[in-house]
Parts: sequence; structure tokens; C-alpha cells
Amino acid sequence: MGDERAFRTLYEMNVDRIYRLAYRMAGEEDLAMDFTQEAFVKAYQRLDQFRGDAAFSTWLHSVTVSVVLNGLRKVDRHRKRERSLEDAAPVVEKRTAVEPGVRDRIEAAVDDLPEIYRTVFLMHDLEGYNHGEIASALGVAEGTSKARLSRARAKLRESLGDAMQEYVT
Amino acid sequence: MTSDDRMESMLEGIRETYNVPNETPREQMWTEIVARLDTKQTEVLDLSAARRRRAFGSSRTAGWAVAAAAVLVLGVGIGRMTAPTVLSGPAAITLGESSSLTPVEWEHLDRTESLLTMVRTDARAGRIDPATGAWASGLLSQTRLLLDSRDDGQPDMSDLLLDLELLLIQIVGVAETGSMDEARARTELELALRSLEEGEVLSRIQAALPSVQAGA
Repeated sequence: MGDERAFRTLYEMNVDRIYRLAYRMAGEEDLAMDFTQEAFVKAYQRLDQFRGDAAFSTWLHSVTVSVVLNGLRKVDRHRKRERSLEDAAPVVEKRTAVEPGVRDRIEAAVDDLPEIYRTVFLMHDLEGYNHGEIASALGVAEGTSKARLSRARAKLRESLGDAMQEYVT
Repeated sequence: MTSDDRMESMLEGIRETYNVPNETPREQMWTEIVARLDTKQTEVLDLSAARRRRAFGSSRTAGWAVAAAAVLVLGVGIGRMTAPTVLSGPAAITLGESSSLTPVEWEHLDRTESLLTMVRTDARAGRIDPATGAWASGLLSQTRLLLDSRDDGQPDMSDLLLDLELLLIQIVGVAETGSMDEARARTELELALRSLEEGEVLSRIQAALPSVQAGA
């Protein structure tokens, strides 16, 4: 009972940030909800280690990032399998008649970032985590987090080219 | 306008639009979490039952290991009489419950067990070797690669790898903070030790490798 009450308090204190991060990474409400729930279920199993401890939030973020990345890999594999079945017929490249807008191009470029760069980019530039928090969540050194962010931005600059200029004007 | 200014302005724009959730469905998720915990209640809350199950699993595993060792001895005897060569090393480890482990997984679990044993000894003494961070970091990358390559045919192994991933993240964190903030590093080291012991991670690794040890 006491555990449940303590857990509910921890849930209330952390769920917004965790769900927001999961949604930023997954981009779909159902997935974000699944990943958030999974992270909290795992957290409950280790609750006694963290009661009243600020380290809980740090640890919960590690669990969340791990759950989301593993979950997205599974979803990706599943979708690729489905696509390969659908595409058994000759592939015709689909092109949209209208060029995507600048914002769509930017978002697609973020989607296309390699996973290790995209995660740091989303956490730092969109969600405002600092490099210490990101390093703890990913199990890397702070320097690695900084280097990945710099690489992510360079890749975005590279893939967007003129679109960035167009976006600000 | 510089390139950095353009990047900043672009970031401000997509911060408001890229995968932004609506309001957090707090109650809906909480109901689901409670339901999932209820179905796992015995596993989650009854730790003594979990330990009993693990103990039963271990004794069963030990039984398999003994049987596997006996078969191995018999096989080696027959092999020596009938074949000119005998296989050795991980590729020959195909008996017992570890038959589904690939040589890469076997080697990874073996190396991780060595690291965790060392960390446990160090943690009990309240210190950690500075070289541990780099070792744990390498194992963390390998754990993630193995997780990525799994198709979930063996949920127990995936669970073990997920627990290893989290534990290795903690150990890397301890090593990283050790040089900067000793008090925080000590707290994190205690947490890592508790995760290691309460998750019975070492026993689970050893249970996954019985016939290897029997045949070594």
C-alpha cells in the first residue's frame, strides 16, 4: 500500500516529462503511451531502491530512453517486414506532385538522423535536457553527448541546405 | 544572419511543431500501469516466491548441467575412440540449456559476468577501479547490438540483456562521476550494487551458461 502511494507520487512528479520525451522520440500517441507505461512498470519493480531519492528521475530517464529505442527498433523491423510483403509487386517510386513544405523537409531531416544523433538532438535542442542529464540517460560521457549534438546539427545543416535559409526568411 | 542564427531560428520553429504531444493522458496510462502490475503481482511483489522460482530454476539448471556434463564426457570418450580430431572452444559448446546461445552471446555474457563480479567486489569495498568505465562502456555497446539483433524468440534472454543494459549504464555513470563528485559516485555505486544483487543478475547469467562452465 505504502509502495503504491509512493509510486503514485513519483508517477505524478515524472509522467509529464517522460511522456513528452517518449512522444518526441516516437511521434505517435499510442507508442508514446506504451513506452511510458513500460518504463513505469519497470520502475515499480525497482521502487525500493529509489524511495525519496532524486536519483529516481535520472534512472527513470535511462529506462525510458532504453525502452523507447528498443521499442522503435522492433516497430521498425515489423514495418519493414510488412513493407517487404506489400512490395512483392514491382516497385514504382511514388513521388508527390507537390514539393513538401520547408517545415516538412526539416522534420523529415530530423526523422532521418541516425538514432544516436537524433536522441541527443531531441533531448537537448527540443526538450532542454542538459548534457549531464543526457549522458546519464544514455550511459555515455558528457563529451560524447556534446559531440553527438554537434554532429546532429551538422548533419541537419548538410541535408537541409537552402531550406534553412528559406525557413528564416 | 550567421549559420548558427539560422539554426537557432529553425530550432525555435520545430520545437513547437515536431512530435509535440497534446495533454498527457495521465489517468488512462495510470489505469493501464496498475492493470499490468496486477497481472504481474506475484512476480513484482512476492520476491520470496520469485526467489523460490529462481532457486527451482537453478536446481533444474544444475540438473541439466550435470546431465550435459555426463553426456559430454561420454561423447568425448566415444569421439576419442572414433574420430581423429576433437572440437574445442565456444564453437563446441552445444549441450544443455545454452545450446541456443550464439558464440558471440556466450562470450559477451562471460565477459559481463567477469566485470560484474569485479564491480560487486569493488562496490562492497566502497570503491571502483577507474578502468571499469571503459570496460563497461564497451560491454554496453555490445549489449545494445545484441538487443538490436534479437527477434524475441527468448524473452528471458532479452529481459536479461535489458537488465544488463541498465546496470552497465549505472556503472558507466559511476565511473564518469567518480572523478568529479565522490559522494554522488558512492551513492550511484550503492544503487548499482543493489540493482546487481536484487535483480540477481549474476545468478541469471550463470544460469544461462551452465554447460559452458561444466564443459570448460
